[in-house]
Amino acid sequence: MGPGARLAVILYIVVLVLIPLAAVVERGLAGGVGGIWRAIATPIAAKALILTLWTAALMAVINAVMGTATAWVLVRHPFPGSRFLATIVDLPFAIPTLVAGIMLVTLFGPQTPLGAWFGNHGMRIVFANPGIVLALLFITMPLVVRAVEPVLMELDPAEEEAAFTLGAGTWTTFFRVVLPAILPAVASGTIQCFARAVAEFGSVVVVSGNIPGRTLTAPVYIFGEVEGDHPAIAAAVSIVLLLIAILLLFSTRWLQGFVRKEHA
Amino acid sequence: MRRNIRVPAMLGALLAFVLLPSILPCAVTHAQGSAERTLTLGVYTTPREAYGNGIIPAFQKFWKAQHGQEVRFEQSYMGSGAQARAIVGGFEADIAALSLEPDVQKIAEAGLIKRDWKTGPHGGMVSRSIVVIGVRPGNPKGIKDWDDLCRGDVEVLTPNVRTSGGAMWNVAAIVGAVLRGHTGAAKGDTAAAVALLGKVLARVTVMDKGARESMLTFERGIGDAIITYENEVMTAKLAGQPYDYVIPKSTILIENPAAVVDTYAEKHGSVDVADAFVKFLVTPEAQRAFAAQGYRPVDETVAAEVAAKFPKVTDLFTTVDLGGWSTIGKKVFNEGGIYDRALNASQGTK
Amino acid sequence: MTGTRKAGRWGRGTVILFAAVVLYLAVLLLLPIAALVAQAVRTGLGSLFGQLFTGDALLALEMSLILAVIAAVVNGIFGIAAGIVFVRHRFLGRRVLDALSDMPLSVSPVMVGLAFLLIFGRGGWFTPILDMLHFKITFAFPGLVLATLFVTLPFTLREVSYVLQELGEEEEEAAAILGASPWQIFFRVTLPNVKNALAYGVTLTIARALGEFGAVLIIGGAISGKTQTGTTFINVAMEERRDAAAYGMALVLAVASVLLLLVLEALKKVEIRPDEQ
Repeated sequence: MGPGARLAVILYIVVLVLIPLAAVVERGLAGGVGGIWRAIATPIAAKALILTLWTAALMAVINAVMGTATAWVLVRHPFPGSRFLATIVDLPFAIPTLVAGIMLVTLFGPQTPLGAWFGNHGMRIVFANPGIVLALLFITMPLVVRAVEPVLMELDPAEEEAAFTLGAGTWTTFFRVVLPAILPAVASGTIQCFARAVAEFGSVVVVSGNIPGRTLTAPVYIFGEVEGDHPAIAAAVSIVLLLIAILLLFSTRWLQGFVRKEHA
Repeated sequence: MRRNIRVPAMLGALLAFVLLPSILPCAVTHAQGSAERTLTLGVYTTPREAYGNGIIPAFQKFWKAQHGQEVRFEQSYMGSGAQARAIVGGFEADIAALSLEPDVQKIAEAGLIKRDWKTGPHGGMVSRSIVVIGVRPGNPKGIKDWDDLCRGDVEVLTPNVRTSGGAMWNVAAIVGAVLRGHTGAAKGDTAAAVALLGKVLARVTVMDKGARESMLTFERGIGDAIITYENEVMTAKLAGQPYDYVIPKSTILIENPAAVVDTYAEKHGSVDVADAFVKFLVTPEAQRAFAAQGYRPVDETVAAEVAAKFPKVTDLFTTVDLGGWSTIGKKVFNEGGIYDRALNASQGTK
Repeated sequence: MTGTRKAGRWGRGTVILFAAVVLYLAVLLLLPIAALVAQAVRTGLGSLFGQLFTGDALLALEMSLILAVIAAVVNGIFGIAAGIVFVRHRFLGRRVLDALSDMPLSVSPVMVGLAFLLIFGRGGWFTPILDMLHFKITFAFPGLVLATLFVTLPFTLREVSYVLQELGEEEEEAAAILGASPWQIFFRVTLPNVKNALAYGVTLTIARALGEFGAVLIIGGAISGKTQTGTTFINVAMEERRDAAAYGMALVLAVASVLLLLVLEALKKVEIRPDEQ
């Protein structure tokens, strides 16, 4: 591909990605670093950021465990219907996030049988924090599975067989033999799903109730500030999310370097 | 060996087939002739039905009879504040029909409304309502007035003031009621206003973007009480929802403005249609369409016709009684104002 | 596919694990979809499709489709070009650009909307130029296109890059030695090799484009008849208590997603990762 193509590609990325992100950074930094601090130190913004981070973290941990378990079952124990399950796992990638949020409200809303049952036991799912975690779980479910599956498939079963013949149980084999091998992939997938969750808007705005200080997440807060004609505040909080995203992006690439090296 | 991609191709074709019917209107709409005018409306959330079912069809008939042209409407319904922001930010609405005067002022201050829009027969206002408290049928929690919304067993709904005009009216109603001495506090006691508003905000379960979204959340079973426009509750009842509403002893008169956004109307060459539409909004026909959806008319004749539908209020005050919107803006909604202080106070109690 | 273990050992631990996974997937994935379908049916399929075939809904769907096609074509071409440029060439700033093109995956859609508003909205960087050209981006179709292109940028690129990297340059080098011109090499060697990765990436692109909500809402304003997409239509329909229309559109988008999913799965079976031999 000639230099013309290279230039076109570079220009495309610069115009479509670099400049818009630069505009956000520029507007956010208009008040200097002090300005950013002021914007995020307000009670509502601070709580929004904290809520975003802990719900994403909690969800990421659950996803890491269940995602690995799912990949393990799908790869190591195929059964009639596992093909179907494997297809289903990719579903959240295809479904619009807004529709995902609506589905959760339709399933767990206070007027539904499930929602009412939870309500009677003092738990509210939709329009409360559990709903946020649930929505994030749905949206990011495939990421860990897809990261771990290929690595699991390539794993030489000889080591596991060896461990078995030496008398190790299933769990011991898993923790001593398999896990160390797939850990970079698990970490990479988990980080990806954490990053995705921090940015999530469409499903959370439907499911969470958006109460400032209680169930308002950072992206929804940013949305409110944009709609309320405070682009500077929106940009300042966006910079924080952007920094987190960049940090996570580099961690993922570094980890993926490990994954690739092991299968060179 | 490369297997062919026949299966995915087939599925892709099936997908295209599913989505293909959406191509049909393309041919239809783009074949419109030039005897068609277009009007773009930027409206707040609640009058969708009033405009969609009543006023727009009536105006289309009216204009066709007068000028022999079809009028096509593009409509956007958003929280009043958000809508004002959008129009200032580049949404080329020919007409802004918003919830409160300051939102239209924002557009005027941005230089987009060049004429004095308040010279109409009713000061630029086209509909009225009052702030009420919507409750479940039979009012099971026995809610009667603003202080009942502070109770620990009551969950309240009100939208977000950043984006929703309705939310601002709600807050103004509560603050006004306190400052006018109808909630047990002394007249003009700002601290009492902060306290009461703070307690109410602490009871809020969901804060939606707009009044309509708020109403829908109420319909999904959230909340025991919703602070909203009287017209919203009435529209909901028309749509089959079983609500009652309570009118507090002291509440605010809501007045909704509409104005032509001169810059955009001129750009689109639709000043004549836009002017005609805004004038049409205060004609008896349009006013009846508003009244049918629960709005209190600004036109006296129509108001008299439908008076039986709208209960009286003990202490009905207006924004003028509170010092006008600029004072309300300064004292209540600006940074550090009553709303901010109340919101902070509400954080501690939950 | 794999079956590398001898009829996987089904010890007690495995059964519990298996049950846990199946339950988890069922509750998290299948149940919500079932709930949506049930709700749609409850609303009445007849009124659903009646509402769906109104002008408003069809226009919104058409908009989504057009945006998806544009994204597929533009970012598909970009994906191939950038894939080749990033994998086969070395130049200053390559890694930075590569990282930049991954950003859209972690950037929140609301930030995308904000970014384009800052550039093209009131007081924006490029607004004076746009005003001179009488070209509208915000609250208009071009804005929707830009937002969709942003969020779908990485998909095809990633798939194609991966394949190009795994394949190595031998085939292309061999063709060059045999005297093929660069374009011949591209069309006869490179393109057929990445064909399936391209298809996979394009499918992901379409799915993402159909699902975009936040950015499109901010930049476009969901103006009926002008900047309404499938997702913003659902939003608006719910607000107008047009439940049938909302669930109908949600169902259409969900069905389209499932079909796209099946296409993805079918493509997965075909070799897109050649080292899986």
